Parts: sequence; C-alpha cells; structure tokens
Amino acid sequence: MTKPFALRDLVDDRPQDGVFRVNRALFRDPDLFALEMKHVFEGGWVFVGLATQAENPHDYFTGFIGRVPIIVQRDGDGVLRCFVNACPHKGVRLIQKLCGNARRHVCPYHSWTFDSTGANKNIKWQKAGCYGAGFDEDNHDLASVAKFGEYRGFLFASLNPNVPSLEDYLGEARKLIDLVVDKSPEGLELVPGRVTFTYAANWKMQLENCSDQYHFTSTHPSYIRILDQRAREQSAEVVQSSIGAADFWQEDASGTTGGTMSFDHGHVLNWGIMPVSAALPEYEHAEEWAQLHGVAKRNWMFNMRNLTIFPNLQIADNASSQMRVIRPIAAGLTEMQTWCLAPRGESAEARRFRIRQYEDFFNPTGMATPDDTVCYEEAQLGMAEQDRPWLQGHARGLTASVEGGNDYSDMIDMKPARSVLADAQLCDESLFGNYYRAWADRMAEVLS
Amino acid sequence: MTVMTQGDAAAYLYAEGLMLDRLDFDPWLALYTSDCLFWMPAWRDDGTQTDDPDRELSLIYYRGRRNLEDRVQRIRSGFSVASAVMPRVAHMIGGVQLTEAEEGRVKLDSSFITNVHDVRSRATHAYFGRYEHELVLEDGAWKISQKIIRLMNDVVPTMLDVYGV
Repeated sequence: MTKPFALRDLVDDRPQDGVFRVNRALFRDPDLFALEMKHVFEGGWVFVGLATQAENPHDYFTGFIGRVPIIVQRDGDGVLRCFVNACPHKGVRLIQKLCGNARRHVCPYHSWTFDSTGANKNIKWQKAGCYGAGFDEDNHDLASVAKFGEYRGFLFASLNPNVPSLEDYLGEARKLIDLVVDKSPEGLELVPGRVTFTYAANWKMQLENCSDQYHFTSTHPSYIRILDQRAREQSAEVVQSSIGAADFWQEDASGTTGGTMSFDHGHVLNWGIMPVSAALPEYEHAEEWAQLHGVAKRNWMFNMRNLTIFPNLQIADNASSQMRVIRPIAAGLTEMQTWCLAPRGESAEARRFRIRQYEDFFNPTGMATPDDTVCYEEAQLGMAEQDRPWLQGHARGLTASVEGGNDYSDMIDMKPARSVLADAQLCDESLFGNYYRAWADRMAEVLS
Repeated sequence: MTVMTQGDAAAYLYAEGLMLDRLDFDPWLALYTSDCLFWMPAWRDDGTQTDDPDRELSLIYYRGRRNLEDRVQRIRSGFSVASAVMPRVAHMIGGVQLTEAEEGRVKLDSSFITNVHDVRSRATHAYFGRYEHELVLEDGAWKISQKIIRLMNDVVPTMLDVYGV
C-alpha cells in the first residue's frame, strides 16, 4: 500500500533538538481528513456515550463513530450493546431518534425487524422471497461494533478489532474519570438538555483548546471582567462564579498553580489548583469526600481539571462540569455535542449553581465559548498553505516536561507518562505533543 | 392606559425587535423589569424542551436585568472577539396573540425569525422560534417581566448572542 503522507512532513518531533512543530496541513488537508476519519475515528477506541443515557431495559440512544451511524441499546436483561445503525438489507438508518425505548426496531423501508439484542426477528415475506443459498448464509442481525466496553459508566467502542483492551487504552487516565464519578455514591448523570453547535474549523482546534491554559486571559477578558465584577458585588441577583475564586490563571499568582499530565494513547490533563471553598457547588460534600476518599483525593476533586480522552471525549471540571463530544464533519467543520455533567443526588442549591455557571461559561449562547469558537475559525483561515507551514503553538513547556509524574500525581497514586508542574505563566503547550503522537500511532498505516 | 390591546402588544414587540436590530442596548435594557426572567430553554431530545431551569439546562437563563446588563457590557467591552465585528440582524415578528390580559399585565405569544449576517465570516444564518412575553405596567410604563425564547433550530453555528434571537 502506498503511503500518501510522510509523518516528518506533518509533525516535526525532535526532542533531542528541542523541537516540536505541527504542520498547518493537519488542520486543512481534505485528503488527510478522510484518512483521519478512517484511521483515527473508525480505527480505534472512541467515546460513544454514558450508560445512564440508556438506563432502563430496552432504552437506546444513537450517535456516530466517525462517519458510521450507531445505536447503543440496553436489552431486556440490562446488557448494553453497540450496533451499526443501518439495516443490513439496504443500509437504511434503522433509528432516526436521538434516544428512546424500544423492544423491537422495524426498518422504515422494508420492515425488517430486530430486537433489542440486535438479532433479526423478521424478514418480511422471506419464505416467498425465492432467495438463493448465499442469502441464507448471510448474517441478517445488526452488525455489532468490533469492540465495546464500559469504564464506570463511560462507554467506548472501536470499529477496529485490533486495539488494546479498554483498560489499557484508558490506562492511568482512569483515575481522572474516577475523580468525576466519585463525586456521588450514586454516580453521574447528564443534566437534561443537550446543546449542539458547529464551528467552521478543524476538530483539533477544540482538542487543543480544552488543554490550552495560555488562551484563557487573552481570549476571555470580557468574561473575566464580569467575573471580577460579580465577585465584588456578591449579590444574590447575579450568577456567581467558581473560576473567580481560583488563582491558577491569574498572572500575578506565585508558586505552583497547576500543570499538565500526558498519558499513554493520547489522553491529557490540564489542571489548576482550586481551593476547597464555597465557590464550588461541590463544597457541600467537602467533609464527606475527605472521609470517604481521603483529603488528597478530595482536594483533587476540587481542582480545575480539563481532561481529554483521545480522540473525542473532553470533560471540563472547572466553572461547572461539562462533557463534550467532538464530531468532525469536514477538515474545516466540526460539530460539538455538549452536556452538563452532575453528581446524582446533589442538593437543589448545588444543582442550580452548577447549571447557572454552565450556561454562562460553556454554551455557544454564553459569554466564553463564542470567543473560543471564533478564534478557532480565525485560526482555520491561517491554516492556508503558505511558505512557513509550521505552527509555533506547541512549544511552551518543552523544557519543563519531565518523564512520569510529580508530587501532585503521587497524591492520588496516578502515574502519567509525562508531566509539567507550572506556575501561572508557564501555560504548557508541550502536552499537545501527546495528541499528535497518538494521532501518528493511529495513522501509522498511511504515514511513511 | 392600563389595558393593552393586541395592536399595542404587537407594536411593543416590534419596537423591542428594532432596538436589537439597531444594537440599541440602553433602551432595550430599559424595557425590562429589574427582576425580569430572560430564558431560552434547551432541547432535551428530538421533541421536548427543558422546562425546569433549576434542574435542567437552558441555552440562556437569567433572573434579573442585572445579568442582561452583563451581557451588554461584554458585547461593548472591546475584549470579546466574538463581538468585535458585530453581526447585522433583522427581526421579523408575527402572529402576535394576547393569551392573557388584565389590568396592568398581559401575556403574549408570537413567532420570530431573525436573519443574522455574520459580517466577520460572511455567513448568513436564520434563527426562528416563538416568544412568550409577559408585560407589566410599572410606574405607568409597560415593562417586560418575562421573555421566553423557544428556539427551534438549536444547532448553533459558532455563536449566538442575545441580539440574535
């Protein structure tokens, strides 16, 4: 097989020379994009949803793995499965709804029928159909995805069977999922109401932005001013803010304010110290969590954490708590599906606080995300082919990055592959290298 | 005049739409009571909207004009790239119906289309849905005590601000 791209033309990764650079083509090239869909999104583990999205027998929800429509369905015995959402007969998408409950799915085109385990239960007028022997030998059930697994309610699937186990794929990043799930003994739930938006730029702009501490005070000063003002005012009338109470992003903060961690298979964390204070909706559980999980883990549960599970899941636990799923549509178009994540059983007061902060910060109709997405689009314009193809945006922190963890990761016995301990102005970018190394691994078949 | 007719109500909503089209935010803010509700619910799934803003997510939810003032402050701040090149907007409001009318208080339903030209990206979007207003008489002037915006096409291209709906 000919390999249409050379890795060295796309990612200039020379740690011995202190160089890590990414070519603009990664954000722009439509041929590369098609290969990414096949090899990154359809060639390995991706996040597909939460188990609570199909909580009861016969519940289902639909989505996509890369370009392939899928169904995640719970059967009558409570077993979750993941199928291709296409009738084997003519390929028609079997379920059009986002979510629902059904024991049977009847294809709208020719009435082929499937149960909630994906088994074919009826082929209309089969006996009279004069089928040849070849048809009878075919499997008429819904196609299962090659791999499907759950970690603490987070569901992942792979269309490629040749992948590490889910446990290995998530690796030490599982401890970061634990920090989110352990906020309630009853686990997590999605607050009803999903928000979907698009932006006219490459999916990797969102991938990076979640882990980009450097942009915060530059992109969001209009929002930060409002936070400052609200913090001074402290009136019941204005929406209160958690970020305002932290100093990990304040340029004059001294000492260690946070840092980054990189994990095997492309997962990364950008984190900042947040005091255990009433500025967070979780404060009502501060004592209880310390007793249940120990003080160190409790403190980590209060820290600002932006986690990416490569390539498409992001959990932002900062001003509120958001679950984002990245769905690339074209090299220059991305759809974002977003939800407010919340611990089950939190008080009405905490829930209200969480939701109000979420709307102002995370929504495309809020006061922060629009300034991000507009920057992604402006960046996309700058990705045009030009004499200087290499971006300079992956270089901060290179000399601060160390192999393994640090005192903070040790506190929760977490062993990242690399880490950076930072003051407020370091704003590591070297962690993005982890994305591109995982990207190159998945693309290995088509990169020389 | 302490009773509002359907004609008065329609004229009121058109005037609000025009203020937003002109980005004339001071008189727009002045239309709202200090404890107003400004609410754009999200969609739960294909067919139902969220209806408990304390337990469910909204696209925008504010109780209190003070929060709308924050929105306007951000737009005008000069520090928001999403507000640096202002989109051009035209509101079309129709189908205005008085659903409740009493001394000093009315409820109105209406439909809207906003055509938004994002000058920065050269893209034009249309948003559409329904408004549910409650107006109250405050010191002799009609004020908006409640505006619910039921946005039908809720897949937002890049961004959407208060002037765009």
